[in-house]
Amino acid sequence: MKDRLAQIKKDFYQGVEDIKDTLQLEELEQRFFSRRSGELTETLKKLKELSAEARVEMGRLANELKEEMTEVLAKKKRELATTVGGQLADREGIDVTQPRLPRHQSGHLHPNTQVQNDLEDLFTSMGFMVLDGPELESEFFNFEALNISATHPARDSQDTFFIKDHPQWVMRTQTSAMQVRALLKYGAPLRAVVPGRCFRNEATDACHDHTFYQLEGLVVDHEISVAHLVGVMKELLQGVLKREVEVRLRPGYFPFVEPGFELDMKCLVCGGQGCGACKHNGWIETLPCGLVHPKVLEFGGLDPKEWSGFAFGLGMTRLVMQKYGIEDIRHLQGSDVRFLNQF
Amino acid sequence: MFVSLTNSNHMFVSYNWLKDHVKLPDSLTPEELAERLTMSTVEVDGLFSQEKSLANIVVGLVKKVSPHPGADRLQVCLVADGTGEKQVVCGGSNVRAGMKVALAQVGARIKWHGEGETITLEPAKIRGVESQGMICASSEIGLSEMFPLREEKEILDLSTYQAAVGTPLAQALGMNDAIFDIDNKSMNHRPDLWGHYGLAREVAALTKRKLKEYRTAKITSGQGLRLRVEVKDQELCPRYMAVAVGGIKIKESPAWLRQRLLNVGLRPINNLVDITNYILMDLGQPLHAFDARLLSGSEKEKTIVARRAKSGETFTTLDEKEHKLTEDMLVIADQEKAVAVAGVMGGLNSGINVETQTVIFESANFQAANIRQTTQKLGIRTDSSARFEKSLDPHLTKAALEKAVAMTKELCPGAKVVSVVVDEKDFHLFTSPIILTDEFLRKKIGMEIPRAKVKDILTSLGFCLKEKRGELAVTVPTWRATKDITRPEDLVEEISRIYGYGNIPVSLPKFAITPPLVNEERRWERLFKEKLAWEFGFTEVSNYSFLSPRLIEKAGLTTNEYLELDNPIAKDRPFLRRELWLGLLENLENNQPYGETLKLFEVGRVFEKEFAGQREMEKSDGLLPRQNIRLGLAVSGKYAEPFYLLSEALGGLLGEAPDNWELKKVVAVKNSAVHPGRVAEITVKGKIIGVLAEVHPEIQEKFGLLNRTAFLELDLTELLTVWAGQKHYRPLPLYPAVNRDLAVVVEQTIEQQALVQEMLKTSPLLQAVELFDVYVGSKIGENKKSLAFHLTYRSEIKTLSAEEVVTVHQQVRQRLEKKFQAETRE
Repeated sequence: MKDRLAQIKKDFYQGVEDIKDTLQLEELEQRFFSRRSGELTETLKKLKELSAEARVEMGRLANELKEEMTEVLAKKKRELATTVGGQLADREGIDVTQPRLPRHQSGHLHPNTQVQNDLEDLFTSMGFMVLDGPELESEFFNFEALNISATHPARDSQDTFFIKDHPQWVMRTQTSAMQVRALLKYGAPLRAVVPGRCFRNEATDACHDHTFYQLEGLVVDHEISVAHLVGVMKELLQGVLKREVEVRLRPGYFPFVEPGFELDMKCLVCGGQGCGACKHNGWIETLPCGLVHPKVLEFGGLDPKEWSGFAFGLGMTRLVMQKYGIEDIRHLQGSDVRFLNQF
Repeated sequence: MFVSLTNSNHMFVSYNWLKDHVKLPDSLTPEELAERLTMSTVEVDGLFSQEKSLANIVVGLVKKVSPHPGADRLQVCLVADGTGEKQVVCGGSNVRAGMKVALAQVGARIKWHGEGETITLEPAKIRGVESQGMICASSEIGLSEMFPLREEKEILDLSTYQAAVGTPLAQALGMNDAIFDIDNKSMNHRPDLWGHYGLAREVAALTKRKLKEYRTAKITSGQGLRLRVEVKDQELCPRYMAVAVGGIKIKESPAWLRQRLLNVGLRPINNLVDITNYILMDLGQPLHAFDARLLSGSEKEKTIVARRAKSGETFTTLDEKEHKLTEDMLVIADQEKAVAVAGVMGGLNSGINVETQTVIFESANFQAANIRQTTQKLGIRTDSSARFEKSLDPHLTKAALEKAVAMTKELCPGAKVVSVVVDEKDFHLFTSPIILTDEFLRKKIGMEIPRAKVKDILTSLGFCLKEKRGELAVTVPTWRATKDITRPEDLVEEISRIYGYGNIPVSLPKFAITPPLVNEERRWERLFKEKLAWEFGFTEVSNYSFLSPRLIEKAGLTTNEYLELDNPIAKDRPFLRRELWLGLLENLENNQPYGETLKLFEVGRVFEKEFAGQREMEKSDGLLPRQNIRLGLAVSGKYAEPFYLLSEALGGLLGEAPDNWELKKVVAVKNSAVHPGRVAEITVKGKIIGVLAEVHPEIQEKFGLLNRTAFLELDLTELLTVWAGQKHYRPLPLYPAVNRDLAVVVEQTIEQQALVQEMLKTSPLLQAVELFDVYVGSKIGENKKSLAFHLTYRSEIKTLSAEEVVTVHQQVRQRLEKKFQAETRE
């Protein structure tokens, strides 16, 4: 037994010498201390075969050895943690600036979508429904129901796309086309926005495209006034821009509102002093709006004596261009990944 | 006759001219007035002060001219400027000693040779000689309309002017006006504002001044010419007034008149034409003047006919262009020929010319819609047609004709009326009173405006009022009654705009606290978009709704299934898309240089004429074409099977539960653009809601795509009729699962889904089967494939014993071997 312990001690120290990393240390620990087959464990198990005296003697020796070995292992462990830790950094160090290969290709949402999502969230939080409707619309909903007479310039073929063999169909020129559809479907009171694609038959350049996006807003309730319109528009702009704004109304003519306005916002760049951004005007033309024309309410099945409302139009495409500083409107429908992958 | 303004989208309005009609306080600046007009009436886009634009330019006197030592074409002049003499280098061909010139001094704003940017003049050395200013050509200081150049290098000769040397040029030329540049589209609905008098009425209301009465003397009939007018179509011509004036001498107009016209952007022609243009700009009523001699009939008798054009009738307008007329156009004619397109433009055959001695003035009213239609068809827009198409007040014709006769007598002292005044009329205006209640006004504006204030405003705009308790009966003046004002809402606008929109206190409406209805289509559209971009790495594109026949045919499709625009802007893209994948393929082609692998998607509406969409009107049988929202995905790149990349994305969108959706291989493939062996219908609850396919190799090549390409198109609108995206929760299992793998070798034509379904039929203890590897190769034989599955066994009521699993697993293997002649191994 004594020899066996001496042999274990010798083997152990030999093993410790050879340890270079924690893995080897664990192996060595297992070799001697494993519960099932550790060399020291096995030896200790044999103690019970000895005579009582020998058992005391050998037991003491064996325990001493066990403590000694445990201590050496712990010490070795600490050593490894410091010195071998340094070696690990060298051996397994990586270039932290290198990208993963093959690279993960991230996706991108179109800037129109991102701005539209933000606007929808804002309006939803203000209690507005989000509606959408046909892009190919009847002349009735696009024009007539909006009090746009048959001879109004907006109906000219130079402004409106017509459909071959279907003279009563047009590509909607404005999201306002949904006003009467919404009134007929949901009645009043109503709070709704209609974001969507519109079409105008006009030549394309950096500032104009025949396809663009608008967001129409419509509020119908009892006793809606000009004062309310300005109040809500102000809240809306503050919500979009996330800062205090000052607004003013000017006369503006749109057949489906009476009275009709252009709403200006005091220039946020110069605070109204006049600068390049506002063309030295101090104010920026921001959105057309007005009280819903009684004829529109009538087309919507409502009694204008009982109901009134306001409507406004937001040029979403222009908003997108302003938000990201996009210089050419044609990028938006150009489907060029070099453009799209920046958003 | 109707000379076009330099810019037909704008009207130029003279401050001095307005002041003829309303006395304005000296303290009011043109800038302030421009602001007031913009805030209450029309959009003033710009304000141009003649004095400011001609600042630092004075009348100079050339004292001495000597050759430039370094340049043949230049001269060195000594010019007196009232304070001393300046040395100026000049290239003018007509410069000579003793000439009065426009001398631009340092600080003047000029345009070199009348071209390019306006610059501020600084002292300069020209070819080595000091020049302390510039002797200007008219074009260099914006006066070329007033002083047209006769030769290229001509400088402006002011020798005929009385002004003393050193006088500011603006003062010397009587140019002390301020010109408002008004955006026409802001007054399209206001026929009364298209002349200075109408605008002056607004100015008077805004400044609380009195508008001067527009005084004209009744025309006393004369003798010598029997003038008759026949209006054949009174609907198109509600009023036609005419009178003949003899003893005319055509000559240049006096300076004041020429200057007036120049100030508002019209070029002076001769006294008669200038009179008609003056009245056009003054009252907004277009006039036309015919040379009586050029009309058919004897010298003693002339007949003017307002009739519809004959079909195919040709007519040459005074701009020497020939037009083909149609029966829906109104012409003014003598008894032989048309002499004017009514309200649009006169003819080359009958206009005022240097020999005109007797003139027939026309002052008429034409139907707005018809004028508009005619200008559209002929492609002519004039100052005249622009006014008629706004619905002019028929009462204007009388004042305009009287003014024309008075001015003619003033400008041609020998002129006298030689006919009766003819007045053919048949018109009715809406002038019954509109009832405006105090309550209505308060509710619409959102505040109370005192009754006295309301009365003041309406009266100042020309409305007549009858006051009753709590309400006003308002009669609309004729110049606002043609279409503009018909309802109390229109009066609300009049009152509030003059009262000042800025004076209305802002408030917020009270709304019920009800959450808005959710638009499910938009909700899912948004969720899908975000998943595709953020999770699957797709980039969203946005394509036009219009397709070219070239693209349609390139994909092997035919154009007759597509709706078509009647008037496409891009002539090459007339068709309305009925699928998104076509546009996506084009995107892949265009973007190939920028990325080896491309993953694109789009959400948008398509137009299918064979399916019915929404109603055209509330109660009509007419239906629009169906315009469902589609989701399109397309991928091209170095993928072994781009198809599976898309089916994986589909699983990500619709959920992985096996009964959520299914792909069914299409056997009889109709679409020649897709790979016949790699195309599937996407079905949800048995309904086909989309297609997933690899592009046919030939089409891939036609699009120049280097790699295998696949697309997926899903009809979101249809999807949401059968699918709501619910999640189904199952309680966590109480007993452990036992996992076994199984490799199955079968014919390649057998679909893995069939194997999975067959395995699942074996026993409820087999709860899930998942494919984790596919191997095809010579080791397993021709036309064979080896599929490896993870199988999960579990009981809901106890822990399964090893024996139980072995038994079921064995049954699974037997089923596969029997049904599919499969070889199986663990």
